[in-house]
Amino acid sequence: MRGKCGLFHTSYASETRFFQSGFQKLSLGLFLVLLLCSPFFLSNYQVSMLNMINIAVIGAVALNLLTGCCGQISLGHGAFIGVGAYTTGICTLAGWPFFAALLFGGLVTAVVGMLFGIPSLRLKGIYLAIATLAAQLILSYVFLHWTSVTGGAIGMGLDAPVILGMSLDNDAKMFYLTFGVAAASVLLVANILRTRHGRAFVAIRDFHQSAESVGINLFAYKLQAFAVSSFLAGIAGGLWAHYTMYITPEQFDIMLSIQYLAIIIIGGLGSVLGSIFGAVFVTLLPEFLGVLAQWAGSFFPNISMYFLALREGIFGLILVLFLIFEPEGLAHRWRLIKAYWKLYPFAH
Amino acid sequence: MRRKLFTLAAALVLFAASPGLAQIKIGVLSDLSGPTSDVGRPYADGVRHCVEYLNKQGGIAGQRIEMLQVDYAYNVQQAIAAYNRFKGQGIVALQGWGTADTEALVRFVARDEIPTYSASYSAHLADPQVAPFNFFIAADYSTQARAALQYFHDNWTEDRPIRLGLLYPNHPYGLAPIPAIKTFAQELGYELVAEDNVGLGDMDATSQLLRMQRQRPDYVWVGGTISSTAVILKDAQKVGMQAKFITNIWGSDEQLLQLAGSAVNGHYGLQTSVVFGTDVPGMEVIKEMTGGRPQMTHYIRGFASMYVMAESIRIAAEKGPLTGRAIRDASRALRDFDPMGLTPPISFFEDDHRPNMVVYIYQLFEDRMEMLAEQELERRPEWLGH
Repeated sequence: MRGKCGLFHTSYASETRFFQSGFQKLSLGLFLVLLLCSPFFLSNYQVSMLNMINIAVIGAVALNLLTGCCGQISLGHGAFIGVGAYTTGICTLAGWPFFAALLFGGLVTAVVGMLFGIPSLRLKGIYLAIATLAAQLILSYVFLHWTSVTGGAIGMGLDAPVILGMSLDNDAKMFYLTFGVAAASVLLVANILRTRHGRAFVAIRDFHQSAESVGINLFAYKLQAFAVSSFLAGIAGGLWAHYTMYITPEQFDIMLSIQYLAIIIIGGLGSVLGSIFGAVFVTLLPEFLGVLAQWAGSFFPNISMYFLALREGIFGLILVLFLIFEPEGLAHRWRLIKAYWKLYPFAH
Repeated sequence: MRRKLFTLAAALVLFAASPGLAQIKIGVLSDLSGPTSDVGRPYADGVRHCVEYLNKQGGIAGQRIEMLQVDYAYNVQQAIAAYNRFKGQGIVALQGWGTADTEALVRFVARDEIPTYSASYSAHLADPQVAPFNFFIAADYSTQARAALQYFHDNWTEDRPIRLGLLYPNHPYGLAPIPAIKTFAQELGYELVAEDNVGLGDMDATSQLLRMQRQRPDYVWVGGTISSTAVILKDAQKVGMQAKFITNIWGSDEQLLQLAGSAVNGHYGLQTSVVFGTDVPGMEVIKEMTGGRPQMTHYIRGFASMYVMAESIRIAAEKGPLTGRAIRDASRALRDFDPMGLTPPISFFEDDHRPNMVVYIYQLFEDRMEMLAEQELERRPEWLGH
């Protein structure tokens, strides 16, 4: 059996290929098959975790495209997810088919995202962060006060998605929807990054003046990044709304925006794979710490109450440790692990 | 050695065969570390102590209660994950906590038929059309506010309309009762003279109070939580406001007395349970469970919430197999159930999950809360859910 040792490209096309080896294709294929079969052998709780991870993956690749790849920091991502959630919810309540409502939710969010992306021509870095924070605050205000449309403080009750007459009213059925949309979103973003547009995003991120001097229209490309990112955020919101079946303004506050920033920083800025790792990590960490708290509680019953409260502190500590020791995120660690095994057992 | 082994084996067999092993599992969602943990912790303690008390009494219908608790830190995602974990572990009922998680789980608990008692008193959760498996043991936010308006209206002696001001955070919880307050105030002939926002985390409310002072309100509704309420009361004292403040349920507790100090004197606080030390049978139990240490009103509501849920479980268990639907039906069959005097009597109906229409109105002083009145409203159908 012949294996590849190192990378040797003779064309650009081969360099931009998704899969550099048959082994990668095979292992990904097996992993996907395993995931698709997972509802048959995982518990309802575990499948629900997968659903939340899938939705987080969509939101994370969306933000990573904007912030990680195009360098446009956004603190309004949580609100954009909210726009998608409310729009999709309103459409399905009006009797639209689910996918039409979901797509429309994405489109409306894209338009809203572009609107708030307009200042990005003049603003960058922390100034843009504040401008997008304004988006978060304005949109939160709209969710809360446009009572006739959003239900205001009371919120909005929705039904499980109905696709071709089948109601996705349990976690296992919902899994196939969230997984399918997550896979499509990941594929979309990964492909965008391989195109002229994706390269322009990266050029803008690396140095906007150089990008402009080679003929990149900064405004158009930044707006495109906002549009695609917001579109996917809207899709994530639409799925979230129909997964929880009840949305209130509280769900789409600044904490959600910060959580998504944490996801892409932990996963790895500018990396599609990193977005997935980050989403898995941030979704599972509180659960893992919860299990740890319960386990500790079985030995020291009185300590469990305090340990539970410590959990959020531990979560924060892990975030800080990541920033210090692994600033390039889990994606970088994954690359190192792969490199290690490629050369194993000969380290040098 | 052999004898020891035999004794051990016999003990194990007896332990395994003991009927005490049968357990009723309930899930408890608590905020012990999130933004509402200052009141979430005492509430969770109340729930836990009630479970311990019931188990000491022999459990429910001879079965021990097993409490599965998760600190979800007021994060909706974590609440949904915890709920799904609870479901997998076979809970029959859920003790929830805040608005965010309770509302996110409304459809889940209805689908899975898991009765949920929470500490979110949003009026719409009392409407079985919207939330068929949700219950709570306090008058809803809108009813609380209406009761206060009724009380001050009934005790008004001057020959002019009462001038009312509203101060609330621009937050779902703050906004929830505002439409009800405005409508009922108009109905009672109040004059709404001022309305302003003070955020939950605001450290200063002077400008809002100075604006409001110019309109000379007689009463001001304060719809925030403890910290913002303390800020408002202190700043009102500073600017020399004459109006009396009505602080709502999450804005008036023992912490407020400490935080606001003398600024709290003479203002009013709404409660739906008695305060620690009141002479009711339940207080003896609470004193026993806590070693006599004073507890906050949130603790007492947590205790009462679990106690009422346990009563529903007991009725359901006596009737037949213990299912979520049976517990819900048993809850709906409660009529004037008295949770040892800790709250006004509780009744739920098939088409109306408002537990009662009674609100306790306390006058606040820096060293105590004095009950002024027990205000009861009529159970108007048009108020259900609003």
